[in-house]
Amino acid sequence: MKDKAISIHSSRGGTGKTMIATNLAAIYASKGLNVALLDLDFRAPSLADVFSRGIRDPVRHWLNDFSDGKCKAEQVLIDVSEAYHLKGKLLLGLANPAMGAIRNMMEKSRAWEVTAVKRLFSLRSTLFSDMKMDCCIFDTSPGIQYTSINAVITSDISVIVTTLDSLDLKGVENMLVELYDALSKTTVVLINKVFPETRVWSSERQKDLISRLEKTLKHPVIGAIPCYCEVLQAKRTSILAVDMPYHPFLRNLEEVVERLEHVVETN
Amino acid sequence: MKVELLLTKLVDELNLVNQKLGSLIELNEKILKTQEEFLRVGSDKTHFGTELKLEPDAMSLLSLPMSLRKTVMVLYKLEKATAEDLARETKRLRAVESASANQLVRMGYLTKRREGREVYFYLESPMETRK
Repeated sequence: MKDKAISIHSSRGGTGKTMIATNLAAIYASKGLNVALLDLDFRAPSLADVFSRGIRDPVRHWLNDFSDGKCKAEQVLIDVSEAYHLKGKLLLGLANPAMGAIRNMMEKSRAWEVTAVKRLFSLRSTLFSDMKMDCCIFDTSPGIQYTSINAVITSDISVIVTTLDSLDLKGVENMLVELYDALSKTTVVLINKVFPETRVWSSERQKDLISRLEKTLKHPVIGAIPCYCEVLQAKRTSILAVDMPYHPFLRNLEEVVERLEHVVETN
Repeated sequence: MKVELLLTKLVDELNLVNQKLGSLIELNEKILKTQEEFLRVGSDKTHFGTELKLEPDAMSLLSLPMSLRKTVMVLYKLEKATAEDLARETKRLRAVESASANQLVRMGYLTKRREGREVYFYLESPMETRK
């Protein structure tokens, strides 16, 4: 995974997008890769809370400020690799969770969004060219919104996280046609929170489920991760790849990483 | 006597015509002034262009035909580009990119400027134009 930007998206909220994004970033960083994880969910920011354990100083510059042209890329990024004992670098770009900041982002004009997508491209370029990052992960807002489309446009590959809920799947089906195919983006689907766990108990069952979904969605499905109680019950400030590296959730995610790399290589 | 009366009547009528002509000239001056003002605002390219310019945001992008969408997406990344730069990114022919970019200019999504011997296409948001 060299110089690749991955957007983690979903059609609706609650699919586990942030959990996937944070742990993917931690897995890459624990393997020695330099990773940037950006919170592009300006309407419901969460990474500031998720990584609160590792953020030592008060955050002075947010991605909101960067998008507004009020600060430089270097000022926004926070290095948390030491706090989580990671082999590679993990840099965070956080969205401001303050109510005023969220309201401000919701009032932005279409003209502002044009500048925002260009700023995101320049941030991507700084991360890869100047800061020598290997991979950049965008945690986006669900559905079709400016910030999520901007993230999809800027990324090389998009991972749509969905549950098996019929509304989620219908939303994914629509997004694949209306958004991803329209933008000619490499897109893969990741099924999360599969319940009951027995549906993907054996590798045969998992393969069968994946192949049926690939036929319906007409896009690669890179994994089906069961719904684990420990994951649902884990503290939101817990990075599972760091705190519970041997949990089956992480084993499943490691397989996802391998399949993702295969997709990147073949595209 | 009769002639004198007729002449006086004629002078009165002419005076009335003169008055009416005076008010018509006054009205015409007002119309011309308004027209001049309108044309002055219209010829102010920055102002007029800003009002008419379409915003090439991500949502509008989805409503464009695929061929044009590719060109806009490259310009998000490059900010400004010649038809050749665009062709290098999209891996399409330079002539194809030139046609796409010029069509986007006509549609109001892009602007183009000559810099020396090169013609550059820009994707400017009206917000930036207003600066």
